[in-house]
Amino acid sequence: MMDVDEPLDFELEDSLLINPVVSNKRKKLMGLDELLTEHYKEQSKLIENEAKKQAKAQKTYDSDEDKNCKEAMLASLLDDCQKQVKAISSGEEMSEWGLCVFGQQKATPPLSFPELGSWSNFQSFMNNELNSLVGLTSEQVCSFLEGLLKNGWLLRLILKCGRVEKTIAVWTFSLMLYSSKEELRSSACEFWCAILSSKIQIDARPIEIDWYPNYSELKRALEIYGFLFNSSSSISAENSSDCKGPPQNIITWIKFTAVYCQIRCKQSVLLTSDCQELAAVIICLFLDRQLQGLSVLMRDCMQSVISSFTDEEWINSYSRIAKSVASRVPLDLNCLRAVQCISGVDTRTKHLKSVVAFEILVNCFDDKVANEEGILTWLISINVKEKSCDFFKMYIYVVLAENWLRYDEMFSEKPVIREMWGLFLRNCSCQISSTDLRPQASKVRNKAAYLLQGIGNS
Amino acid sequence: MEKRKINRGCMEANTLAIIDSSAEFYNHKDSQEAKDDRIDFLEAVRTTSIVPEHGTPPTKKMVEAVFQILKAGESLELIMSSYELLNEIENRFPRVYISESSGNGSRELVVVKEAWLPFVVSLDVMSSEKETKRRNPPGLFDPNGFHELLLGIAEMTYKTISQRLDTKFLGNMLLFQYLVNVLEGDFVPRINMYKESLNWNFLRECLLNMLLVSRRINYKVLMKDCLFTICSLCQDYAGNRNESDCSKTSIEKSPENHNTDVAIALLEVQRTTCMAMQKFMIMIMELDESKQQASMLGQINRSDGARTQLVEIILDELTYYRKVLPQFLQVFNDPKRKLEIIVQYLLKYTSKPSVRTRRSNGSSEDSSFLGILKSFTEISSTKNIIKKLNVEVVQLLLAHAFLAYTSMSSQQPLSSMPNCNEAVIASSSLVEISKNVAAAFNSLRKADEKIQISSLGKEALFTAAMIISTS
Repeated sequence: MMDVDEPLDFELEDSLLINPVVSNKRKKLMGLDELLTEHYKEQSKLIENEAKKQAKAQKTYDSDEDKNCKEAMLASLLDDCQKQVKAISSGEEMSEWGLCVFGQQKATPPLSFPELGSWSNFQSFMNNELNSLVGLTSEQVCSFLEGLLKNGWLLRLILKCGRVEKTIAVWTFSLMLYSSKEELRSSACEFWCAILSSKIQIDARPIEIDWYPNYSELKRALEIYGFLFNSSSSISAENSSDCKGPPQNIITWIKFTAVYCQIRCKQSVLLTSDCQELAAVIICLFLDRQLQGLSVLMRDCMQSVISSFTDEEWINSYSRIAKSVASRVPLDLNCLRAVQCISGVDTRTKHLKSVVAFEILVNCFDDKVANEEGILTWLISINVKEKSCDFFKMYIYVVLAENWLRYDEMFSEKPVIREMWGLFLRNCSCQISSTDLRPQASKVRNKAAYLLQGIGNS
Repeated sequence: MEKRKINRGCMEANTLAIIDSSAEFYNHKDSQEAKDDRIDFLEAVRTTSIVPEHGTPPTKKMVEAVFQILKAGESLELIMSSYELLNEIENRFPRVYISESSGNGSRELVVVKEAWLPFVVSLDVMSSEKETKRRNPPGLFDPNGFHELLLGIAEMTYKTISQRLDTKFLGNMLLFQYLVNVLEGDFVPRINMYKESLNWNFLRECLLNMLLVSRRINYKVLMKDCLFTICSLCQDYAGNRNESDCSKTSIEKSPENHNTDVAIALLEVQRTTCMAMQKFMIMIMELDESKQQASMLGQINRSDGARTQLVEIILDELTYYRKVLPQFLQVFNDPKRKLEIIVQYLLKYTSKPSVRTRRSNGSSEDSSFLGILKSFTEISSTKNIIKKLNVEVVQLLLAHAFLAYTSMSSQQPLSSMPNCNEAVIASSSLVEISKNVAAAFNSLRKADEKIQISSLGKEALFTAAMIISTS
């Protein structure tokens, strides 16, 4: 495994690499943390010294000045020092992931549906003898229908008669996406999910639905929620104070989309390109910290979108999805989040995860290298001992490359790539010394060491 | 095998090292760095155990560490990731499952004894408090702890929405959901085996049973708390709460802007918590039924302890606290159990005391929904019922029973439903039931000219009319 041409480094004899017994590692990790505090102390001392020197120098020039003035100056210098210390320590911390994928919300379309009165069931009920008990008049139709929907009667009636008329379909769809009342939204969503799943459940009678929403309807809803389709307009969450996030309606949107994609095998409702766009949109949703609490729903939805492709569609789709995601995410912790949110449990998501990570890596190098060996050659050529080495970027590269290769099913059949990957990891874990105090250096080193053990085990 | 063991040990040490460094260094416990380490750890567990097709199950220590992250609930990101990971582990490496032996086609229950459990329960009701405290690893749930978790959630449900925008509350609800998932994962294969073999031993050792028979909890109080919590939890999304409190604006304009991530997920998590609580209650009802059956087969001995059936407790509570009846009927939406509860409830008022039969053997015509509806045909008996129960409650019960009935008949085919209580459903058709519901409401009006038909009642009548006219 070891390269003969490499400079001999005592770190190579690290027990970690030859025999992965880890007790040493734990100690070392603790040591690192202590070192880090020491490092903080040293840095601040250095700055204080500097400040003292400066203060001394100033003293010689301004010896005639008033005492008060000196005090003020000292105070301001001290302030500067403190700021510098702060800057150093904050420079060491990586910021969090998080994008603002939702901007200003737009006005919701009106929810009045005068044509509801024409629902055939109403017409027949008006003449029914039972109406003497109910006393339904045509003015109350809308609120009455809302009650039928909220309490679940409407769904029972539809399941019984086996057909949804267009007015009902359009009305429930709009309530689901645009109503401000939680109970109407969620019962409309339950209604749609139930009638849609009647088409895929094995022993259920499929419901005839007179109207299906198309992708533009789903897209329009997202636009109204304020979703920024344009990649350049999505901004880092830290920089924007007015990052409002989407309305609660996004929940029913996600649930509906998940079920809607599932019926693609029975009903041609969404085009392949629509689903490609949906997959990329959902990955973007994962980048908004405000939506973290919905991750279970979002993961279900993504799974459903991805499995809705036929095998043939998938072959033509995954790289488009990956390129679209790669072009949207900034090359910081957000791109790692984008890769991480893809589950990687089944073959398709493994594949997608690998390709997304690869495409982002390609973007990292400004398309200067586009093939696998090229990327690894580039990575290996990075000299971690050079002072200017950017370890934050290194960390991103390590994690991206890890995901690209780990989830690549052909990895075991690419001995050259395997060899190069191992070499890169050894560079990171061995050439960065454990006492390297540069920001993020230890993080890169630890990550590489951890991954190297994985390679050794397999 | 030996090699695999070494690898597991190695894997455990390596992954745990990721969090150990920050945990020991407690000055920085809340730092971003420590949180990042935890996220990395969760990701590492996922990649070693869940991602590979034949992944190595995570060791006890590893699962425990994931569980502690969920329990600590330091940030929404950590809560969500650990919650999802725990459920993935649960699905991927079940503790209890049924294996089909290929030879003679017999099925066998496999219990993975060495698997990690979030519960500390035992069948040994005599074990002293002290002893268990010493044995218990800290942070796991004993029956008491489980009850306390539920009480904590219950307490929060009485607060306003802005007070509930709390990461910890969200975390506790997800923790509860996970614990119910664990109970379910253990219960379902066992009850399936029990139904095949009618051997109570399969269920005697199930976690749920051990939790409920424990002398360290007051089972009845736990069940009552469960009932009231599910009723108050559902109020936000069922629109029962004061509009001004749950309106959109109050959620979005909360003073703490950093809580918008909690705000957007809160109602959804409350809803899933209600579903989990309902699942918990339904499992207990199934356990009760099986226990009763086993008792008739003479398999229950004194050490099994005696518990009041959950359905009885619910019926009593709903009788004494009629106020929660509308909420309960709205949130509890398992049609079969709901119909059963309503029929039992109405039976207390419709049948004459002399012919009142015990639930266990009440399979006569009288105790079915149709039988109940029939008791409304005569004006005098209808008047009698209204006198005992008020008109609003009767309408509410009839409408909800009808709703449950229609749901059951749309879950086709009816006959394939497992363990279906034939007595309650009887063989009456949906149309027949619809006609009788309409007749019952007519008879209510005849008994009292002045009564107002409630909106739910009107909806039920509309539905009944539509079903009659389309048939």
